[in-house]
Amino acid sequence: MEFDFDLENPFSGSDEQNIQLSKALFIGSTDSDEPSLLFSAESDHMSSLAVALDQLSTRCHALSLIVQAQFSNNLDPALAYLAVNYIDRFLAKREIPNEKPWIARLLAISCLSLASKMKKTSFSPADLQREEGFIFDARTIRRMELLVLGVLEWRMRSITPFSFLRFFTSYFPLANPIIIQSLKTHASQILFKSQNDVKSLEFKPSVIAAAALLAAARELFPAHFLSFRTALLCCEYLNKESLAECCAAMESYDTTAGIEAASNGCDSAYSALTPVTVLDRHRAGLESEKTAGSASNG
Amino acid sequence: MEKYDKLEKVGEGTYGKVYKARDKVTGQLVALKKTRLEMDEEGIPPTTLREISLLQMLSQSIYVVRLLRVEHVEKNGKRLLYLVFEYLDTDLKKYIDTYKRGPNPRPLPSRVTQSFLYQLCKGVDHCHSHGVLHRDLKPQNLLVDKDKGILKVADLGLGRAFTIPLKSYTHEIVTLWYRAPEVLLGATHYSIGVDMWSVGCIFAEMARRQPLFAGDSELQQLLHIFRFLGTPNEDTWPGVSSLRDWHDYPQWKPQSMALALPMLESDGIDLLSKMLEYNPSNRISAKDAMEHPYFDSLDKSQF
Repeated sequence: MEFDFDLENPFSGSDEQNIQLSKALFIGSTDSDEPSLLFSAESDHMSSLAVALDQLSTRCHALSLIVQAQFSNNLDPALAYLAVNYIDRFLAKREIPNEKPWIARLLAISCLSLASKMKKTSFSPADLQREEGFIFDARTIRRMELLVLGVLEWRMRSITPFSFLRFFTSYFPLANPIIIQSLKTHASQILFKSQNDVKSLEFKPSVIAAAALLAAARELFPAHFLSFRTALLCCEYLNKESLAECCAAMESYDTTAGIEAASNGCDSAYSALTPVTVLDRHRAGLESEKTAGSASNG
Repeated sequence: MEKYDKLEKVGEGTYGKVYKARDKVTGQLVALKKTRLEMDEEGIPPTTLREISLLQMLSQSIYVVRLLRVEHVEKNGKRLLYLVFEYLDTDLKKYIDTYKRGPNPRPLPSRVTQSFLYQLCKGVDHCHSHGVLHRDLKPQNLLVDKDKGILKVADLGLGRAFTIPLKSYTHEIVTLWYRAPEVLLGATHYSIGVDMWSVGCIFAEMARRQPLFAGDSELQQLLHIFRFLGTPNEDTWPGVSSLRDWHDYPQWKPQSMALALPMLESDGIDLLSKMLEYNPSNRISAKDAMEHPYFDSLDKSQF
């Protein structure tokens, strides 16, 4: 039996005492005014997320592989998101030469593997690579995993926006579990897309989570959007200006669909990813990347 | 591990050998915990990964022993993982022993007991608010810097990741003395109360300078508890008789805690009785314990 509940999924515990414990995490066991630990801890996880501009192409290479893995293996968006978080934290500390895109791919595979271990889901790097026609042997992936762990100082329990989804859905005016679930599912997809824009690194995970839920509510349940927004704006843990900014950024992702939106922050040339063309396209797109990266409103 | 000079083996505990060592560059003293990493084709095992990142997260509190680094070494084809912890010179068991034995046996100063208990609650609350139960709190697992008067929680969470591969090291008999009655009675669902029970036992041990319930089997442990606190029943602990290992036990009436622990003043007795509450859901939490009047005379600003 596992006694520590998952910080990334604090409400996933099925046993009642675990849930009580999770609630304590958000509202404090006795004092409801107490700021929640998760909210106070999330800033610690952002400090190292400033990806240098010259690492953006590496980020693109790595993320396109994650997107592909997510779509073809039907990975949990929260898992893919965690892997990207590792990639960003890695790139903030270590430079990968642009002319060696295979390292970015190795990084992506290793981070997916580490994220799946943290999430206790089975993921086989071999399956992913078979489709790719590009195989790293197990030993290479193992060594890269250890390198990533060393660089990230084994701090793998990142707080991501997914940690906050359940908490914020409690502000939604309807309590119907089916509606809440569809809201969460849609918000998860939006979150995953949003991560591809480097701009998303500027916002706190909680703010991104709230913005994604608002975007999802607007699309799925427009009649309840305004009351949901009003309720969220009253949440003491959310900075209203930051939420407004994040919502604006989020809207821009949502005008485009699917993988195209996913590559918004990178380069529109990656919209139709195929295993064969992806690397060439990356290379072709490198020149226009910096402008495309900042043009997230377009 | 050429970065460190191994000075001496300080323990061969539950999880493997522990060395006191010195960082050759900084001169810093560290505790090295060696463990064999069972890596296969899948790389680092998920449990190990989860445990160490959990430790990393928890060791951000100064009331939890800090994990400084994780070193991975490959030597003669064997993969070893060293966890590098900050080094503290003693633990609470040895600390209590210096007051019990030695040239000048005397009680622990009540201010020390108060301060250590407060720091213990801080560390335990930190774990609990991160959703982590320690499950093996005991004086040996509480490290002490006696000059600075600091107490830190150690040996967190590594149980699952390392107990199995290092079974050969675990000749040590697991102590039952700090184990909560619901665990002894086979409850399958338990929570922060199990740690708070241990905190209560440790509190009493600091006051008495000897363990409160020193049973040598699970049954004996229960009987020690029942003899002191009275045999629980459905009135004092609803649901107790449906626990898996519940039997008909001899009936004892509760003893007076104040008489048994004359060295504790009334606030201390009250706090202890709230930690040793039978019903786990009524047992005081670490957070509430820190607000108890027992700590009113403590200068909390220093923590």
